[in-house]
Amino acid sequence: MKVTIKLIGPFRIGRFKEEVREYPSALSVRDLIEEFRIPVNLLGIVLINGIHARVDDQLNDGDTVILLPFIDGG
Amino acid sequence: MKILTSNPVSDPASVMYRRCTVDLKSGKMRLEDVPCRNLEDVLGGFGRSFQVLAERKISHAYCDENPLIVNTGLLTGSSAMTGMRTYFSGYSPLKESKKGLPAAIWSTGSGNFGAKFKWTGLDELIFENRSEKPVYVLIRETPDGPKVELKPAEQLLGLSTHEKMMLLQKEYNGAHFATIGPAGEQWENVYMGAVALSTDNQLKSGEDKMRFAGRGGMGSLMGYKNILALVAQSSDKIKPLTPEVQKVNINVVKGGGSGRLQPISRGGGGGTWAAYDVLQVFHAVPVNNFRPQGNDLPEKLFRENVEKEYLIKSQACYRCGITCHNNIHEKLEDGTSGAFLAKFDYEPLNLLGTNIGIHDAGQAARLIHLCDNYGMDSISLGVTISYLLSYNERHPENPLLNGAHFGDFEKITELVKQAGLGNLPDIGRGSKRLSENCGETSYAYHVKGLELPAYQPETNPGYAWAIAGGHMSMGTYGLLTREGKSDIDSWVEGITRTKLQIVGFDMIGLCKFFDITKGICTQMVVDCLRSEFNIDVTIEDLAASVRRAFLLGLALEFRQGYEKSEFTLPAEVREHPNLNIKLPNITSPEFISELQKKVWEIFDPELEGLLSKYEQPTVAREP
Repeated sequence: MKVTIKLIGPFRIGRFKEEVREYPSALSVRDLIEEFRIPVNLLGIVLINGIHARVDDQLNDGDTVILLPFIDGG
Repeated sequence: MKILTSNPVSDPASVMYRRCTVDLKSGKMRLEDVPCRNLEDVLGGFGRSFQVLAERKISHAYCDENPLIVNTGLLTGSSAMTGMRTYFSGYSPLKESKKGLPAAIWSTGSGNFGAKFKWTGLDELIFENRSEKPVYVLIRETPDGPKVELKPAEQLLGLSTHEKMMLLQKEYNGAHFATIGPAGEQWENVYMGAVALSTDNQLKSGEDKMRFAGRGGMGSLMGYKNILALVAQSSDKIKPLTPEVQKVNINVVKGGGSGRLQPISRGGGGGTWAAYDVLQVFHAVPVNNFRPQGNDLPEKLFRENVEKEYLIKSQACYRCGITCHNNIHEKLEDGTSGAFLAKFDYEPLNLLGTNIGIHDAGQAARLIHLCDNYGMDSISLGVTISYLLSYNERHPENPLLNGAHFGDFEKITELVKQAGLGNLPDIGRGSKRLSENCGETSYAYHVKGLELPAYQPETNPGYAWAIAGGHMSMGTYGLLTREGKSDIDSWVEGITRTKLQIVGFDMIGLCKFFDITKGICTQMVVDCLRSEFNIDVTIEDLAASVRRAFLLGLALEFRQGYEKSEFTLPAEVREHPNLNIKLPNITSPEFISELQKKVWEIFDPELEGLLSKYEQPTVAREP
């Protein structure tokens, strides 16, 4: 299946902004986080097709996943 | 502090703080050890100062009976990381109810002043009345304990916040400083004056890298009292790190709370600036007076774009390992660092940048730099200017002031300068008064008279219950964006229980980045208190104390004339929903109405009778 992955802010450094990748079925967000070595302590928000999601949520063909860092005020 | 008990919860009176009350009119001073009434007094900050304010009924901020309270938190000056906070409290010249009564407020900042102040042996200064002539206040450590003196300050008049510090530094070795700028001196026309706090980096480098207690006009109150600066001179009294505090500090730097704020080079997100990238995904970065347009304009101030032209230095507060500062310097032709321009935090960068149509980093830096040196709150200044620009956009045939429009750097610069010099009361007195004078209040982005920080109100109805401004006294700003919560119950729970706990930091002397997601009610804080002071306080004790302090703040708002109808968001948010923001709508009239109903059902019983023990028959005197 095809999944579009978008990375935000510092997650782009040494990786990419946006890519479309092919995966076998039964893929979770966590699999992507491990694949791209996203630091878990920095990960603040996961969006699947624009909706807030959890790292254990499963992905479907055609999904767009956005991984965002945490935000803090100041 | 004198701590004669290991249990300050059951025996608070065995903890005493040293207070100096200064009558600025007569020059008389009273130094005393004051027994604590409760855990709020022990922790300090606004938890203590609001109890003092509750004893006074004040009808005008600029009156002799309105005190300026300067204090610290229990962990200020301790070996706990980020323990550098100073608090300034009083009735605000800026934040007022529709009845025209001033709200109690506190404002806080880091820098080294707080620790130096604490190390003089003093925990609290209360300034009564007003000095006839400009003075600065010298607080110094002596063999006989702390000594406070009033000194003539004519030589400081008109100098910027930074210039005052540089001049005083020549005279006071080993001291740190809290100063106001020209804006605070012009308190009659500037209600948003800030207090600048010197930093170690600043005094060593000569670069104007101050920190600020900006919110609510405490610099203007200081100016009204004719105090231009505070000088705290003492030896450093940093305790050797205990294994317990060392463990906590390592956790602060590397743990979940603050690892995210570390520089990108250390695997962090690069300070609060990273909020730009995140909020832009939702088109929730404020643009042109809080009306995001659904385009990529905010990206021009993304870090990755700014660092093409400027050098960004990651720096830290003294002894703080979080290193959340992003100091912007000119990049010279050979790639090395040139002049320091400004510190880029999310709030000032957005509110003196994208939200007023400025998308050039150098121009935004210039405006932030001016704001800091005149000594104004960048949030209140930026939002008041964005209101003006919005008004001018709506009335091209009859614009206000110099006719500035969004993005007009030259004219906006002139507005900042003239406001800072006290020549533009329309700006200096904030967005509430300006919008009321214009007769168009719906797009003035303040709540209860205090301007909103740079989080779209569409993402945070919790603003309505913040007691000392926006995100820093109600931690709900990430509840929708970060946590994806759009149901009523989550918001009621956040506002009435979990997210109000953010104000605990403004009691105990720690910066919010110590552990912004969990607040002060953690084992880390319990361990620090036990190790530093040999006192036993539980997480539950801390939570209860923070809640009582917050509720007192709410109760004071009602006493100062606020009505429940004022606990709401700017009307434009409800009346003209911004469809560009890609998040669920949680600010519809129906949602807000239901939220208000449920929140007050919880708060109302707890507020009943809360102020009675503080009530005294004092009558405010008009200036």
